[in-house]
Amino acid sequence: MPELPELNPVIHGKLRLALLSLLVGVEEAEFTWLRAKTGSTDGNLGAQLLKLEEAGYVTVEKKFVQRKPQSIYRITEGGRAALTEYVRALKQLLGGAIGA
Amino acid sequence: MTANAEELELKDRLSLIESMIAEGRRTTESWGWTFVLWGVAYYVAIAWDILGHNPWAWVITMTIAWLLMMAILWYKAKQQTEKKPSTRAGRSISSIWTALGISMMLLFPAMGFSGRFTPQTFVAVAGAMLGMTNAASSMILKWKAQLACAVVWWVAGAVACFTNVTQCTIVFLAAIFFGQIVFGIYAMICESRRRNQEANHA
Repeated sequence: MPELPELNPVIHGKLRLALLSLLVGVEEAEFTWLRAKTGSTDGNLGAQLLKLEEAGYVTVEKKFVQRKPQSIYRITEGGRAALTEYVRALKQLLGGAIGA
Repeated sequence: MTANAEELELKDRLSLIESMIAEGRRTTESWGWTFVLWGVAYYVAIAWDILGHNPWAWVITMTIAWLLMMAILWYKAKQQTEKKPSTRAGRSISSIWTALGISMMLLFPAMGFSGRFTPQTFVAVAGAMLGMTNAASSMILKWKAQLACAVVWWVAGAVACFTNVTQCTIVFLAAIFFGQIVFGIYAMICESRRRNQEANHA
């Protein structure tokens, strides 16, 4: 029987998974847009984005626009590959569950 | 956790990924009004040119239409509470329309000032350019209605080659009506429906 894959714990968190999935469909996104789409609080969103950043899955660019701070997030190639791998593993696990 | 609950959890993760990717790619931009604006601008320029016999009618009207569009875009951007993310599709579409605008702004005045301007050439070239740009947009957006709009412009451009000045003007007026005004209003209705759907989902 083939060994079932393990799911990447960094991506498995629901909010982090939602964030990576949002970022994979766009070139870049602002913090406020990510907050609106996920319905998360500033603190939680910031913490989860930091975890993704530390894992090398997203990059952040902080700047000031009309004297207001702006944080722009982009998914990295590593983040894209990790999400692809996560989906593959998820489908394999679900295939195993369906087959069981 | 039981096997069944775990399976549900995994399926939940998969549907979360799908819905978030779709959310990110969903274009909420509204451009229908620009088609109507330019359609009206073309009508104003034609009327001014024919009735007023002003050689600057097109240059002045097109410049005012462009300034008006920029002012509306600036105002809309200022009204937004959160900046929408840029997508590859959005950037592709805006780049081909920008390229069209630059091409038209360079070519048509040059044709006019060099004395090589004829209504038939103008409609043929404008029709081909607008047809190409609408077709490219429709292929990126996978939107058949815009492909129909492209066909209107292509047909107008080709037909213009076989017409006299009066017939050519009629062809151009008809193409503006269907390709700009009717399509622009249709696009605005679609955009309004989509916004309402999103508001209901939120």
